[in-house]
Amino acid sequence: MVKVYSIPNCPWCEKVKKYLKLKNVAYEEFNVEDSDEARDELYKISGDQIVPVTTIDGKNYVVSFDKVKLDALLGL
Amino acid sequence: MGVYDFKVKTNRGEEKDLADYKGKVLLIVNTASKCGFTPQYAQLQELYMKYKEQGLIVLGFPSNQFAEQEPGSNEEIQEFCRVNYGVTFPLFAKDDVRGTNAQPLFKYLVAEKGFMGFDETHPKAKGLVEFLKEKFPEYLAGDSIKWNFTKFLINRQGEVVGRYEPTTTPASMAGDIEKLL
Repeated sequence: MVKVYSIPNCPWCEKVKKYLKLKNVAYEEFNVEDSDEARDELYKISGDQIVPVTTIDGKNYVVSFDKVKLDALLGL
Repeated sequence: MGVYDFKVKTNRGEEKDLADYKGKVLLIVNTASKCGFTPQYAQLQELYMKYKEQGLIVLGFPSNQFAEQEPGSNEEIQEFCRVNYGVTFPLFAKDDVRGTNAQPLFKYLVAEKGFMGFDETHPKAKGLVEFLKEKFPEYLAGDSIKWNFTKFLINRQGEVVGRYEPTTTPASMAGDIEKLL
């Protein structure tokens, strides 16, 4: 399952989600300001506290809204 | 009426009684709600880390009443957001800090400490004043909050002892903070 780590009022997070919807990619969203668990996961994956972060396997991830990298990550 | 009489909402939607902070030195600041790690957020975080053990708590109150961009700044457009603006001090729910719908805490703070002018020696002071005169002249009137990052110092007894305009850097407040700790 594709996971998107985000926070509210984050324009690039919105762009990622819109893009995934457009490409019919199902994803699960994690608000890291609401959930300490999600925040810890984010840190484990990316070593930082910035969003959006998109990942499938928790190892390879894309920061920000980068169409090229997202396509590569998701095999689009 | 004192600072400890106020209840506010945290950025997680929970109610927080400011009386919980009795005995601490408080730096209350209205912050920009735009996501990102502006220099003032960084300096506030530095202050917090430096004096936390001695009893300083920074309380950040985001508001989106002041447009999005710091006037006259050439911030790099970062294409990501920093969680909690990259700070670890308490942040509260986004709300108004000026005008008729200003949250009660800020109505109290500006009544306790009025506007005494901007620090004219600060390089950004002129830019901010010009910007406000042109775009938001009504903001210059009275004791209201003029822009993001207006700071108030509260001593350990809950008294508002200082007000610092956006043009006063957090770092330059160290001396005044140390006197209260």
